[in-house]
Amino acid sequence: MTQTNATTGSFKRNPPIAGEADAIERAKAGDPDAFSKLYALHKRRVYTLCLRMLGNVSEAEDMTQEAFLHLFRKLGSFRGESAFSTWLHRLTVNLVLMHLRKKGLQLVSLEETINPSEEDAPRRDFGSRDPRLSGSVDRVALERAVATLPPGYRLVFVLHDVEGYEHNEIATMLECSTGNSKSQLHKARLKLREILRQNEQAAQQQQELAR
Amino acid sequence: MTEELTPGVPTTCDELLNQLPELFEKAGNARLSDDPRFAKILAECPTCAELVRDLEYIAEQARILLEPELEPSPDVWNNIQSKLSAGGVK
Repeated sequence: MTQTNATTGSFKRNPPIAGEADAIERAKAGDPDAFSKLYALHKRRVYTLCLRMLGNVSEAEDMTQEAFLHLFRKLGSFRGESAFSTWLHRLTVNLVLMHLRKKGLQLVSLEETINPSEEDAPRRDFGSRDPRLSGSVDRVALERAVATLPPGYRLVFVLHDVEGYEHNEIATMLECSTGNSKSQLHKARLKLREILRQNEQAAQQQQELAR
Repeated sequence: MTEELTPGVPTTCDELLNQLPELFEKAGNARLSDDPRFAKILAECPTCAELVRDLEYIAEQARILLEPELEPSPDVWNNIQSKLSAGGVK
């Protein structure tokens, strides 16, 4: 059984940022330069999270904008009970999930709708003796593969394996069971394996053709 | 000689595949492929062993994505500033 602590998600691993506490207090008092500093400190983290969850640059930029406008409205309620980055991170995740629900991931049927269609599902036949992943999967290759995952798989993979949320937290966020979160994560990893191996094989074939 | 079975440890490929999500979850950051309880079944089935190692590798590599490298376009901040200046954010 996994434990949840007060500082959840990826930002628990982040050290405090110099000047952040001062910028938060000044931004709360209405200092526009301080809010600009908070944007500069956190824009990449928020944007990257939005992009990974959504897999679309335009939507990710829109949601980054929404996240910071929401931050502006809610900053006064930040009491420092968790790290600011953790708080902002959770605020962003919730906004993106709300956005996805509005697009069609209805709360009542999330358990079903986060399951991709049959053709998107990872193959169950693990019998073929393809070569294992070479160990040379780099950031770019993985980023591309994650972007091609079906949305439900991508969400759980990003929240768990990249951002560090526990299954019980993801289950709460996605309004599904913990078992469903575990199952989706496993399928996501299987699907990623399939994509990465296909990409590796395609790259090898291209190299052979070029010789 | 009678072989002793560890309770809860899969003894067939099907059992292993069915239990993998739970086994990975219980293992946390540790590797199933380094766990002596699974040494026998992984040694007997190279396909399962490859699968486990690949999935461990993917989970480990996911952490390299944590550090953000991507930057939103300047339009994002310009739009935020415009909305804040217009006073439409309440």
